[in-house]
Amino acid sequence: MRTSKLDSDMEDVEPMEGEVNGEFTDSDSDSEEEDVRKSAIPSKDAVYDRDAINDKLREISWPENLGWIHKLSLDINQEQDVDVNDDLAREMAFFAQASEGSRRGFEKNETMGIPFLRPLDYYGEMVKSDTHMLKVKSRLLADKRNMEESEERRKARDSKRQAKEVQAQKQKERAALKKSEIEAVKKWRKQRQQNGFPAAGGKKNGDEIGLEFGDGGKPFAKSNWQRPGVSPGDRSGGQGRMKSRNGAGKPVKKIVKRVRKDSKFGYGGRKGLKKQNTADTTDDFRGFRKAGGDAGTKRRRKQ
Amino acid sequence: MAKKRKHSETAVAAPQKKEEVAPERPKRTLLGWKDKEAAAVAAPAEDKDDEVHQPTNFRNKEKVLVTCSRRIAYRYRHLMLNVVSLLPHCKKDNKVESQSSKGVALSEMVELKSCSSCLFFECRKHKDLYLWMAKCPSGPSVKFLVNAVHTMEELKLTGNHLKGSRPLLTFSANFDKDAHWKLLKEMITQIFGVPKEHRKSKPYHDHVFVFSIVDDHIWFRNYQISVPHNESDKMARGGLDKMTLVEVGPRFCLNPIKIFGGSFGGPTLYENPFYISPNQIRALEKRKTAGKYAKKVKAKTRRKVHELSNQLEAGEFSEMWKDQ
Repeated sequence: MRTSKLDSDMEDVEPMEGEVNGEFTDSDSDSEEEDVRKSAIPSKDAVYDRDAINDKLREISWPENLGWIHKLSLDINQEQDVDVNDDLAREMAFFAQASEGSRRGFEKNETMGIPFLRPLDYYGEMVKSDTHMLKVKSRLLADKRNMEESEERRKARDSKRQAKEVQAQKQKERAALKKSEIEAVKKWRKQRQQNGFPAAGGKKNGDEIGLEFGDGGKPFAKSNWQRPGVSPGDRSGGQGRMKSRNGAGKPVKKIVKRVRKDSKFGYGGRKGLKKQNTADTTDDFRGFRKAGGDAGTKRRRKQ
Repeated sequence: MAKKRKHSETAVAAPQKKEEVAPERPKRTLLGWKDKEAAAVAAPAEDKDDEVHQPTNFRNKEKVLVTCSRRIAYRYRHLMLNVVSLLPHCKKDNKVESQSSKGVALSEMVELKSCSSCLFFECRKHKDLYLWMAKCPSGPSVKFLVNAVHTMEELKLTGNHLKGSRPLLTFSANFDKDAHWKLLKEMITQIFGVPKEHRKSKPYHDHVFVFSIVDDHIWFRNYQISVPHNESDKMARGGLDKMTLVEVGPRFCLNPIKIFGGSFGGPTLYENPFYISPNQIRALEKRKTAGKYAKKVKAKTRRKVHELSNQLEAGEFSEMWKDQ
């Protein structure tokens, strides 16, 4: 009983196997080999059985007058040959093919009245999971952020460089201006000096102020006597000459005491008693002429 | 789960020929199941196209079996899984063992699962991927070498589409240039095209497949059609002017090796004359670098001989310091 059952099983299986067997009796070696025996020379004896291929094609193809909706296939013409190794061009060609195809497909669907694009509110299972899309999104955002940051950094660097340049420029200008101003003043002084001092009592240029000095109102000439304790930046000139410039140039009477004190301590009074015994002052006997008399009298009195 | 077809049905399929059918349906030995059976067994009849010349009873019953060989690399396995997710009309099967009787075993398995075609990913030496595309009972089969694989998991491929929606298949015009390309085009259309009104298919067309022949290779790309949404209800948002394509993946490049007349075997109908197996390529490269030292030694001796034969003249100043 059992054997008969087995036999019947075998019989059931056979017709199928028989059909399959008949097809590939001589095929195994061909299909299995990994080293195909073809070489790089294209014109070698490659099998190309066009008739058999066309026969097979006819066998398997669907009926010709089948609606396009079943096949959904479109043929797109490629305008130019694409170089395989140029990645960008190749991908652009594929992209162009796809967009052309989708446009044509859309039109075809429009004519048939079939909805084509997916509406917003249609939710269904997508081919990539949500977690994966989250990863994609975060990566895109990170890329964008990196790009923006690098842009900003570059801009900051550029603007800094520019600002530095501008500043350098400005400083140069300022220095030049200062220099020119000082030069101008120096020149003016020289001019004045060159033009000579006027005779005693005479005034030059009308803008001179005859100040009462101990020397008898000399016009402002750069004297080589600088009061020792007076700082160089003191604009009073050591003797307070410029200080008394009133509106119309009227000479201001100054008490001798004030003048003397000014010249000793500079305009503004005693200023901390800075160096008074410097090299200049040891050789300087101007102050001694007046004071020498008093000191002498004291001694003479004592004696 | 899918309704498993009984053995009786597949047995019926084998001797079936279609010559006696109405003239609009020439012999179709593959898409075999007569619609009477289909109507009885499967879902109730759907609306068919009712244009004048169309076969009103055509129903695409394509089923693809997707398997791989055992020692497949992770990248290729992911590629296979991506393909499985792209084709709702496929069935994924377990890994196939040894190579020896591969053709027989595979054809049997396809019949067993009642599929009409097969995509078999074979990985050799853990490095090279070969793809077999076969139409099963008696159809032709093609073996390809797969290059340039990028799977969907790559983060640079940012698109997404409905799982199982029917794709638009675009072929470049060179597919009509030659017979074997036409055959390949037909096979690709049948295998990669999702059947209309398939149970797992989704309604809208939101992605496009691109098959184009460049440099005798078939390049595959998958793009999502995305249109920026202004209003929530309208379908055609100002036509497709603002349509953009975003790549979904996967990406691969197929190099056809051979076309056989039967499934996984049979008489060779076409061999690619430009095909060099990857093993040969590797061997060639090794041979190029192999003789480096020998070549160097040869070059040195050659130079010496050359120098001996053509003596240099003594220059002007060569005698100058001789005495000192």
